[in-house]
Amino acid sequence: MTIPIENIRNFSIIAHIDHGKSTLADRLLQSTLAVSEREAREQLLDSMDLERERGITIKASAVTVEHQFEGKMFMLNFIDTPGHVDFTYEVSRALTACEGAVLVVDSTQGVEAQTVANAYLAIEQDLEIIPVVNKLDLPSAQPEEVALEIEQVLGINTDDCIFCSAKTGEGITELLDGICRLLPPPREQVTDKTRALIFDSIYDDYRGVVVFVRVFDGRLTVGDKIRMMGIGRTFTITELGKHRPKREKVKSLGAGETGYVVAAIKTLKDVRVGDTITIDHSPAEEALPGYEEPRQMVFCDFYPSSGGGEGGKGAEFDTLRDAVERLSLNDASFTFAPVHSDALGFGFRCGFLGLLHMEIVQERLEREGGVEIIQTAPTVSYQVKRTNGDIIDVTNPADLPDAGEIDELREPIVKVEIVVPMEYIGDIMGLCGDRRGIYKSQMFVSETRQILTYEMPLAEIIYDFYDKLKSITRGYGTMDYEMIGFHADRLVRLDILVNGVSVEALCLIAHRDTAEKRGRAILTKLRKAIPRHQFEVPLQIAIGGKIIARETIKAMRKNVTAKCYGGDVSRKRKLLEKQKKGKKRMKNIGSVEVPQEAFLAVLEQGE
Amino acid sequence: MDERIALTVSGQEQTAAGVLDVGGELARSLYVHVPFCFHKCHYCDFYSVVDSGDRQGEFTDRLIEELRFVSRFAAPLETVFVGGGTPTLLGVAHWRRLLVALGECFDCSLILSGDGEFTVECNPETASAELMDALVAGGVNRVSVGAQSFDERHLKTLERWHDPASVGRALGICAAAGIGRRSLDLIYAIPGQTLGEWEEDLEIALSVDSGLEHMSCYALTYEAGTAMTARFERGEFESAPEELEAAMYRRTVERLGEAGLARYEVSNFARGDAGRSRHNLAYWRNASWLAAGPAAAGHVRAGASGGWRWKNVPNVRVWMAGVAASGGASPVIDVEGPDRARALCERIMMGIRIDEGLEFEGFLEEAGRLGVGAAMAAAVEEQVGLGLVVVEGGRVRLTDEGFLFADGVAGALMGAVG
Repeated sequence: MTIPIENIRNFSIIAHIDHGKSTLADRLLQSTLAVSEREAREQLLDSMDLERERGITIKASAVTVEHQFEGKMFMLNFIDTPGHVDFTYEVSRALTACEGAVLVVDSTQGVEAQTVANAYLAIEQDLEIIPVVNKLDLPSAQPEEVALEIEQVLGINTDDCIFCSAKTGEGITELLDGICRLLPPPREQVTDKTRALIFDSIYDDYRGVVVFVRVFDGRLTVGDKIRMMGIGRTFTITELGKHRPKREKVKSLGAGETGYVVAAIKTLKDVRVGDTITIDHSPAEEALPGYEEPRQMVFCDFYPSSGGGEGGKGAEFDTLRDAVERLSLNDASFTFAPVHSDALGFGFRCGFLGLLHMEIVQERLEREGGVEIIQTAPTVSYQVKRTNGDIIDVTNPADLPDAGEIDELREPIVKVEIVVPMEYIGDIMGLCGDRRGIYKSQMFVSETRQILTYEMPLAEIIYDFYDKLKSITRGYGTMDYEMIGFHADRLVRLDILVNGVSVEALCLIAHRDTAEKRGRAILTKLRKAIPRHQFEVPLQIAIGGKIIARETIKAMRKNVTAKCYGGDVSRKRKLLEKQKKGKKRMKNIGSVEVPQEAFLAVLEQGE
Repeated sequence: MDERIALTVSGQEQTAAGVLDVGGELARSLYVHVPFCFHKCHYCDFYSVVDSGDRQGEFTDRLIEELRFVSRFAAPLETVFVGGGTPTLLGVAHWRRLLVALGECFDCSLILSGDGEFTVECNPETASAELMDALVAGGVNRVSVGAQSFDERHLKTLERWHDPASVGRALGICAAAGIGRRSLDLIYAIPGQTLGEWEEDLEIALSVDSGLEHMSCYALTYEAGTAMTARFERGEFESAPEELEAAMYRRTVERLGEAGLARYEVSNFARGDAGRSRHNLAYWRNASWLAAGPAAAGHVRAGASGGWRWKNVPNVRVWMAGVAASGGASPVIDVEGPDRARALCERIMMGIRIDEGLEFEGFLEEAGRLGVGAAMAAAVEEQVGLGLVVVEGGRVRLTDEGFLFADGVAGALMGAVG
């Protein structure tokens, strides 16, 4: 059955995390298809274990369903989007393939930071937006108030607002009808040459790379030799299809349609999301407007937990390398490069879109790659303007040039939007101020909540900003951020000295005003983690060779077991052997035995 | 520790018979463990069960069976040590049977003639004249009285409930019964204890019995699995600062030295060579000794490649059942066979703790046979450089400072073994 282009609707559902997007998606599929209750229980679009477990959608995918409206059959291409702050880029590339968006807001929570961020993304793309107020079934639902917030904060007309409960199914038919009625059909073709936009790609062990496309002009047919207009590579289509939600092969995909392409593409590196596919023998002249390349802003190191080893890289490292390489096939927005740390051995320095992305990658490596990971504290990517005018990126503080060669040290700045209940405004402003935030604006979301906008260094956010925000607001505050550029500031490199010797693995970049406080916190951790020696061990923090803080590990006064008799021999010997083994794993710095735990105490995430 | 563990060592039940039948040297020492206690003291990690009295008869029967079995592997005994638990909690009638059996099974001529040593650990509140007379009749010539502290507050921290005055009484009863060799145990670095309070304890100990020839002074150790350690980890109290503990130790060595009790092991002090515990010296010199009773550990040397070590199953019920079933051989755990490198490590670890130290040429030669002679010489030299050991008269000994770092020294030398 062929559905005319005017009855095709391409749309995404966008929402703040936990506002019920995935449940709503399931309910839509269930209403339009024979998806059983049992299948629906597993949220269909979230294919990875991890996603289901954490209740968030990481990877966009596309599903095609049909819906009868006013006697006509409509094809609904539903493009799923991730729902978290780090994946703005993925949301925006999914939205480019759509004409409309369903904006879901929880009727018990109201407009939150990511509601605002995602709605703006949709508005920027000129999408038609259908506001949906969800979770009507909950006793604390305040649908009218929430609809008012949507209108006030986002300026979206809520005349056509749909009130529903994805849980009970109330309002779902109205929503499906609304999608057919309110969202525009795909735009007219502007050329007879084929142009299809790649909005996502995944790696499949059996078929290689599977590319998700939205056809804007022309048609893709199995057997076509296609050309990636940006990269310039050609492939032959071996399979086309759609997810309904089960995979279903088709012979061709026409203008306005969404589907997947398999073309013997070996690795994700051969595909660039945002690129345009055209037909090799009859190419389009101009590519579709693409996307921005995602930019890795947060970096940290991963090491195998049993240590990369002093001598060799070890089997654990090989397992980690395999896992990292395999994961990179699936996640093109994560970067990695081998690294060696004096303290932790061989590992990888990895780049992520944001903090959540980092956490997800770590969990996937451990879960899917079967490797236990030691993760160092995250840092951001700095920009250095050298005195000779060159500009370089520095993702590892140890790579920072000498102070004399630095003209300017710049750090990434983000715009942060925070939605908080009124009573916490003062505390949150205090927190933002402490984190070098620059106040931009303040706006009412409702009578009880405000949205605060600050510009803030990303470095101040990646520590524990989100946790602090949650604890200050008793969980009610929400935030979202986006990169706005690099700014120069009074940033310094902090060196940590153990018994007078600088420990490269521990150096970091901090703002001059807070450097001493940061340094002292590290010294305190080190003092607790480095065992006493037979001599006094000074721990110092230096900036540009000048000591700004010091702690001392007092000399050990005794190391002797009081009781040692016949029954203790085996046990005592094993204890001493264990200590001996532990010593071998220690790093000798300035004749001080520093255990790996000491490095971890400083480098690992959290307190 | 339970039944299952004991019975599944190497997939099958292992007994002391399997260890002792390998033809090691005949032992001249015997350790007997009596596991009964009134109450489990919070710092103690020795195996014990709170006794209700009803198992003592069966326990003694089994112990006698075991003694009969292990006596086949004994030379004339030079030392016997009965520890616990609380050996003096065993009823006098049981003791009599036990001592008679001991005399029948073993050649106790050296002990009975006074050339040997027979020690019983004694709880201050269970020392009766009747019991002491019975012990003396059986050849006991030495007691070790567990005083721990003379300060009721600190005894309470340790969960010891005896009256401090009972210590002097107990020593008096022992002396009156004719037990000429008497030792006292004290614990220091108890949470909240000051240096002054410890000095006070030392003074009382030195005045409580003019015939005291031996003292053991232990820094409180937080052993894994004890109630004390659990309380410490819950933050119920702070452990004594390292500086204070070291000061208490120094003061102990100094004060007891003044009183004529010289340190001959990290925590042990004696009046002259004759006052030393010969049984414990056998441990530190890595001699062979037999074991009887649940949780008792044994060691039998078997030539240059070291010896066998084992531990009787630490469960009274399993031990009794096993001994009964095998005609005297206890089920054993933690069995270690001869291993030359291990033997050298044990020799270092135990030997370095005593004032005589290690015979330098001998142990350097053994290191050489293991291919680590140069590393060992370097390790010793390093410790000499740190001022922790001296090499004198062909022996490697800890210095005064070295006694405070005996584990570090042992670890460094053992590190050379590889």
